[in-house]
Amino acid sequence: MAYALVALGFVLALNAAGAVNFAHGDLVVLGGAVAMFIGVRIGLPGVALLPLVAVALGVAGIVAAQVAILPLASRPPEATFIATIALAAVIEQALTLAMAGAPGSTPAIAGSGSLEIEGLALGRQPLAIVVISAVLVLAVWLLLERTQTGRRMRAVAADRHMAQAVGISVGRYVTLSLALAGALAGTAGVLLGHQFLVQPTQGAGYMLKAYMAVALGGWGSVPGALLGAIAIGSFETFVSTGLGETWASAALYVGVLLILSLRPQGLFGEPGGRRA
Amino acid sequence: MTAVLQVGQLSVEAGEIVALLGGNGAGKTGLLETVLGFRPGRALLFGNDVSSLPVEQRVLLGVGYVPAGRRVFASLTVRENLEASCALPLPERRRLTDEMLASFPMLAERPHARAWLLSGGQQQMLALARALMNRPRLLLLDEPTLGLAPRVVGDLLERLGTLAAERCAILLAEQRAGLALRAATRGVVLSRGRIVRQGSAVALAADAELADLMAGG
Amino acid sequence: MLAINRFWLVVLIALPVVALLALPGFGQRMVVLIGIYGLLGVGYQLTFGQLGMLNLAQGAFFGLGAYAAALTAPALGAFALLLGVVAAAVPAALVAVLTLRLQSHYFALATLALASLVSLVAVNAEGLTGGANGLAGFAAALPRGPVLMGLVWGCLIAAVVLHAWVFSGPIGEQASLLRQAPLVAATLGIDPGRFRVTAFVFGGALAGLAGAFSASLSGVVSPEAAGFPLMVLCLSLVVLGGARHAMGAVIGAILAVCLPELLRDLQGAWLLGYAIITLVVVRWAPEGLASLVDQARGMTQTPASAPQAPATAPPASHHQQLTLQRVSKRFGGVDALRDVSLTVRRGEILGLIGPNGSGKTTLLNVVSGLERPDSGSILLDKTHLEVLPAHRIAQAGLARSFQAVMRAGESKSSDLARALTRGAAFLLLDEPAGGMGERERRQLAGLLRRLREQGYGILIVDHDIDLLSSVCDRLICLDGGHTIAEGPPAAVRADQRVRASFLGLADAA
Repeated sequence: MAYALVALGFVLALNAAGAVNFAHGDLVVLGGAVAMFIGVRIGLPGVALLPLVAVALGVAGIVAAQVAILPLASRPPEATFIATIALAAVIEQALTLAMAGAPGSTPAIAGSGSLEIEGLALGRQPLAIVVISAVLVLAVWLLLERTQTGRRMRAVAADRHMAQAVGISVGRYVTLSLALAGALAGTAGVLLGHQFLVQPTQGAGYMLKAYMAVALGGWGSVPGALLGAIAIGSFETFVSTGLGETWASAALYVGVLLILSLRPQGLFGEPGGRRA
Repeated sequence: MTAVLQVGQLSVEAGEIVALLGGNGAGKTGLLETVLGFRPGRALLFGNDVSSLPVEQRVLLGVGYVPAGRRVFASLTVRENLEASCALPLPERRRLTDEMLASFPMLAERPHARAWLLSGGQQQMLALARALMNRPRLLLLDEPTLGLAPRVVGDLLERLGTLAAERCAILLAEQRAGLALRAATRGVVLSRGRIVRQGSAVALAADAELADLMAGG
Repeated sequence: MLAINRFWLVVLIALPVVALLALPGFGQRMVVLIGIYGLLGVGYQLTFGQLGMLNLAQGAFFGLGAYAAALTAPALGAFALLLGVVAAAVPAALVAVLTLRLQSHYFALATLALASLVSLVAVNAEGLTGGANGLAGFAAALPRGPVLMGLVWGCLIAAVVLHAWVFSGPIGEQASLLRQAPLVAATLGIDPGRFRVTAFVFGGALAGLAGAFSASLSGVVSPEAAGFPLMVLCLSLVVLGGARHAMGAVIGAILAVCLPELLRDLQGAWLLGYAIITLVVVRWAPEGLASLVDQARGMTQTPASAPQAPATAPPASHHQQLTLQRVSKRFGGVDALRDVSLTVRRGEILGLIGPNGSGKTTLLNVVSGLERPDSGSILLDKTHLEVLPAHRIAQAGLARSFQAVMRAGESKSSDLARALTRGAAFLLLDEPAGGMGERERRQLAGLLRRLREQGYGILIVDHDIDLLSSVCDRLICLDGGHTIAEGPPAAVRADQRVRASFLGLADAA
């Protein structure tokens, strides 16, 4: 379910910047790392960390875009490809150095132990993750669908030039979208970092899952990305319980390759013919 | 009285409808883009030199744009297209959107439909309504009648007349000279980026060389 | 003649020689490693550098080569190296064919999935790959020391020289066109699929060879050989050195191997520094460091040659007539073309006029194969074109120039010239006069007349009626997708229906 947050941030950044940000997964790890750092130094409870990390990563998202995406908008797509991959490497290496090889985990949001509901024992932490993720997704949905800001963000994503021609300051909304994408990534990092630890090398894995979710759900479609993420998460869980995590991942990769070779236009085609 | 728009040799006064004529490649779209700021070039809007202003700021001064191909925000609904284009705060914005929908019955039929589902004529009306959301004093239209049914064309031109009567300045770029000149007060013919003929709409319509000038590219 | 200038060739030969003669064992190993990374990089230059393919699988091919060599070395000795190549080339071919038609953002994902899969297998298939610990103890049968140095650098020099030579000729220009303007490339008969598969397979094979050599060098193969960091390293070294420069991979490899040594005190920070340098280079020196060295030495890179004055030799093809019979095309409820028929013979110029939205560009697209007609036939003599893909139509004898798609810095005339040098007998010209001044238009008119005399058949779309009237034998006027007039220019211009169409006095159809 936290994957949904990652995928959501990924697709928002994609729509705003018009390019794939290969460093998105590393923003997730960065979020976890920041949470660890603050949690240790200041000793805040898990829940209070979330808004702090969100803000910090919102800024990081903007910086990342200013460094590796926006200045290269008029260059061929290979340029942002290289730049965001290099940026991902920069973040990963910086984190490796900062963490000095000792992976840690983020503080739990809801404490350990489980809740008894209708005779089913549900872990409190996983439950908290699902609830918080759902709340955030809902909040973003409300923002996009029900507020003027969200409408303007969508207009900018739909047609940048025309958005300017109706008086929308495109730069401001692109920045906002990218900040939101960063904040979502960071939050996901805090949530995922408890169960999965925080390791600098995880960035590539998170990014790959978000990429797959967006390809599966329809390139550039926000609800599609969410559905894709949920589908991938469910598929993973399903196969894992039967055959273990490794086989789940392998099945995922083979599945993606098969789908792409059988349907070169993506699983659901592309709304309005977008390009990465 | 100062012209609402002055770009190169072309000027448009409040309450005028000026037809901007010429074949493809004649430079009509280029001129409109220069006025808006998508292309570099000197332009005077409402008496001020706006050459250094970015597009969105010029628009907020009071310019509405109905581009070639309509270009409505495809994934937004009709209502959202209008609201997103309005810079006013909430209560006025909602009221204005309601008013706009009321004055465009074609749009009021399905305010919550996604814009890509609309027919060509409906999208054209939406593009016009969207351009009017900021109460422009200058309206720029690029080939709005392309592919429209005659009835819709008539409706569109009638609305332009009403807007002009309300002192809006209108620059209407068109390939179909006959149509444009019927609605306009003045006409300007472009060829290869330069003005080759100007005059009243009546005079131009009667000009025997008009077809050749238009076809010159 | 070798397309790589002597300075670099000397560097390439001197490096291994000097290393063998003057460096201690440790230094020699570094130079072998430079050679290995260089091979990896040259392979990547084929797909990423020359064709702009967003390939993330190069590291996986390196790993496949390394593991294959390690596994077969005890049995095959030095021939295990060849097996390394095969173990990479075969999956590369398979993946290339499967991913042919993918757009770049999906292609990147497919290669990423492949790379992740290989990495996963390397770590987890303990029985085969030794799992996280990898394989060891196989290197006794593989080349070591000076022999390995000679092999690696021999292969590298061959690869660099071949790469430079192949891409300095027409293949280089075709690749460049494919990278920057794929539509134009297709209409010139360049088969994108064949280019991409070939580049991907050769690139993968070189990576496999590099991997096999690395197994030889270190005597150990671990999952790092197929990991993502290696992919990033490969990408970085190619970008730093220069993605399209002959020496790009080698320069990048030198940096990649020497930097960790130079920055030894900073421990793991060298990778960070390397990534930052890559970012800086992408933003401010996109052509890479090898180009900067060339510039510093006062050498400018020769741009891919494009003929300036169009060559006007008679066409090589023997086709006599291009015919359209009742061609129709709808786009979502709108009739772009309705029952359009026309004929163009050799030595004839036919002009196509009509207002915006009349179907002219659609007609050219349908004839050149960028769109399929819904009904009707397009014939070059007796050959049906409407069933062929664009590059085959071009190869059959039809060439097209484009309205606005041009490579930066080139003039319209080279766009036309490119169309002519294909030897096609029939030319489709899409608004060639767009943006031209008076003098250029007169020159264009003269060129068109010369072409007609030499026996070309030309179908030309333009808005400049004066130009068309002066060069065309016949004009056809389209409106709303069908033909409303056809005949000699003067007659068509005077035709009432044509005049009405241009003035828009006739509403809709």
